[in-house]
Amino acid sequence: MTTEAKDIRWGMVIDLDRCTGCGACVTACQAENNIALTDQQGFAQGRNLQWLRIERYWEGEFPHVRARFLPMLCQHCDDAPCEPVCPVYASYHTAEGLNGQVYNRCVGTRYCANNCPYAVRVFNFTDPSWPEPLEQQLSPDITVRSRGVMEKCSFCIQRIRRGKEEAKLENRGLRDGEVQPACAQTCPPGAISFGNLDDPNSRVARMARSPRRFRLFEDLGTEPSVIYLKGGGHEHPG
Amino acid sequence: MNTRDKTYSAARMNEAMLSSMQPPTLRWYLLALVLGAVVAVGLYAFTVQLTTGMVVTGINRPVMWGLYIISFVFWVGLSHSGTMVSAILRLSQASWRRPILRGAEAMTVFSIAVAGLFPLIHLGRNWIFYYLIPYPSQYGLWPNFRSPLLFDMVAINTYIIGSGIFLYIGMLPDLALVRDRSTGWRRKIYGLLAIGWRGTAEQWRVFSRGSTLLACLIIPVAVSVHSIVAWDFAVTLVPGWHSTIFAPYFVIGAITSGVAAVITLMIVIRKAFKLEEFLLPLHFDNMSKLLLAVCLLWSYFYFAEVFTTWYGHKPIEWEWFSYMHDHYGLALFIMILGNTIVPIVGLCFRRVRRSTAALLGITLLVNVAMFIERFLIVVPSLSHKNIPFIWGSYTPSWVEMSIALAAFALFFLLYTLFTKFFPILAITDVREQEEALIGQQQLGRARVETLVNEE
Amino acid sequence: MEILGVFADLDEAARAVDDLLAIGIPETKITSLSSVPYPDGVLVREKHQPRFYLGSLAFGAVGALIGFSLAAGTAWLYPLQTGDKPIISIFPVGIITYELMMLFAIIGTLVGMFWCMGLPDFRPKPYAAEIAIGAIGILVQTEHPGEVEVARRAMQSSGAQRLCTEEDEE
Repeated sequence: MTTEAKDIRWGMVIDLDRCTGCGACVTACQAENNIALTDQQGFAQGRNLQWLRIERYWEGEFPHVRARFLPMLCQHCDDAPCEPVCPVYASYHTAEGLNGQVYNRCVGTRYCANNCPYAVRVFNFTDPSWPEPLEQQLSPDITVRSRGVMEKCSFCIQRIRRGKEEAKLENRGLRDGEVQPACAQTCPPGAISFGNLDDPNSRVARMARSPRRFRLFEDLGTEPSVIYLKGGGHEHPG
Repeated sequence: MNTRDKTYSAARMNEAMLSSMQPPTLRWYLLALVLGAVVAVGLYAFTVQLTTGMVVTGINRPVMWGLYIISFVFWVGLSHSGTMVSAILRLSQASWRRPILRGAEAMTVFSIAVAGLFPLIHLGRNWIFYYLIPYPSQYGLWPNFRSPLLFDMVAINTYIIGSGIFLYIGMLPDLALVRDRSTGWRRKIYGLLAIGWRGTAEQWRVFSRGSTLLACLIIPVAVSVHSIVAWDFAVTLVPGWHSTIFAPYFVIGAITSGVAAVITLMIVIRKAFKLEEFLLPLHFDNMSKLLLAVCLLWSYFYFAEVFTTWYGHKPIEWEWFSYMHDHYGLALFIMILGNTIVPIVGLCFRRVRRSTAALLGITLLVNVAMFIERFLIVVPSLSHKNIPFIWGSYTPSWVEMSIALAAFALFFLLYTLFTKFFPILAITDVREQEEALIGQQQLGRARVETLVNEE
Repeated sequence: MEILGVFADLDEAARAVDDLLAIGIPETKITSLSSVPYPDGVLVREKHQPRFYLGSLAFGAVGALIGFSLAAGTAWLYPLQTGDKPIISIFPVGIITYELMMLFAIIGTLVGMFWCMGLPDFRPKPYAAEIAIGAIGILVQTEHPGEVEVARRAMQSSGAQRLCTEEDEE
């Protein structure tokens, strides 16, 4: 199964029934994308730099309590509220439906973060730092962001690029599932799938047609590219 | 007025109105020193922020805008006084505007200049602020004019230049007057500033009609500036910000704080430079009525906004609404007290409107309340946005507070310097009224004062 | 050439204007110098409507064009999609056009006013510092040296405190 680049609309499906809240995706994302580490105090002050987080909500009264997990990352909205408010085009929409972030263009007005209803945009409050020996494993494919810059999930754009280059060398289109962001690749129960939503036969497109599908804050009209499949099916029969 | 002693009285009036330009006293130097010191502390705090990063502020996720943006909105608001007092009163031919207008116009210029600093201080990477300026770069990339921040930049620049021109044009005859009475290098400088004004009949005609046209042009700019500041908030999806009432509500809030600040400054100037002869109880009375009117309007807008949110009870809006009530109850109370209860009740009384002591208290309270209002607009909505997992709160750090305080010091420093170097009363405007427009006429058995219509 | 007579007050200056008119100097050549504006006709009558508003209009039009080109033109030169906003969006273009139109109209008013007032003008001109403290100057502007002499004599006899021309200023 191959597709042409011009037909690409990247999307992600997250099956909440499969998510165990283990946090492997969070770690993978942090390692893959040169995300600076934040200490405990930074976390407490709301200054962590996670591009992907597992939101844990508690449901019910003791002893019938259940934890719900919601992996939250940039939703790569089609009508992204963060994009038009940026005065310097640091946030813009790519032809493949990605919500791009140009680090060296960003001046740090933080307007995009205010206008993001999902609160997935993070800001570099300090210069990035890694405790030894973690600074040895920085990826050469990705800029290390300086302080004063907004950043967020890019759907691992470096992997998308590499996938496309390899496909081009072999004179073919991208295969479905060929490109995997770090979170999807790592997820032990396989809750996260990534692919081209414009290809009706791709895995994500097929999953996105599930009756369990929903998107976050559909009422805001942001048209996210991340589709969730409702979890907890066995608790709500019928 | 007897025409024979007109020369004498004109000279005396000039002298009295220029009392602020006498050589500075030790007290003045001391004041300037203290204000300069506070500005220096602010500069130091800004240096710390520049070299360390925004970590030294209280900003966090989700509250990405804090005291800087609050100060920005506050100072833009204050800048709406000059146009209100000067332009609107000029168009409505309210002659009592004359002693007030210069002070108000100067206030506009300095407060908008101070306001303009805050978006730059607020940037994460201040050193590349020029990315917001449209210039042909080698990338071929221009700023995004679809962003409200670009509207802001353009509007603020328009207002700084526009109000600067408004202040300068209004001051031109006064500058010539100062030129004529000064000597040496001062005469050279004021001569340059007065650009050869002689006060010919044609110049006066162009001056008065042109000033009216400028007033017509500056009022819609002022309205648009604060509307655009309001739209920074209103165009977003943030619950509590996304509201159609914001633009007119902000404009009224701006005029409220502006008028209150003009009264405060009038009281200070009158006391400091002994201008009791020119700033009469009548002026305070009229300005207070204006303040009363805008406080009523503000309260009406506030009620309209709060009431619909309360009744609609949308969960997402109710969240920030109840958060504000629970956590900022005291601030909310001071705001209502200072913007509604005290001014509306107090200013109904003629005795209060004519008492500088009472007015000083009320107008300061109004501006404290207006600062709180801006805080309550920015912070609670951001603290409790759509995602409950990322709910937070905000406390400004010492860096932010130093810079916010330094802004006040900078404003007063600029204003103090202005009063030393430029006439703080619109001398020719006041004298025009006294000499050219007021006449006497025999009416029955009495000679009564008459007023020639303004052109 | 200009000749200035300085008069102690408004009434004397007005009489001097009458005297000048009586000896045949047309009103178009006479103007007054004062430190406060007087209503039209108190000393001399308005000669023509000042057209400074043309500056506001012309600059305003230019400003609107600049605003439109900045907001619409630059977006079109380097089209970048943001959200679902059109590349050339009507509201932002309108706001930027409006702001720059107003900015340039204000600058144009300043330019127009300066143009009509003949400012800035740093050439030495007949002027008297007493005008700042309430004296009134009557200025005769003429091409003929003969007329200057006539005006000088007329103003002297009307009670001018002082008379001066360009040469005196240098």
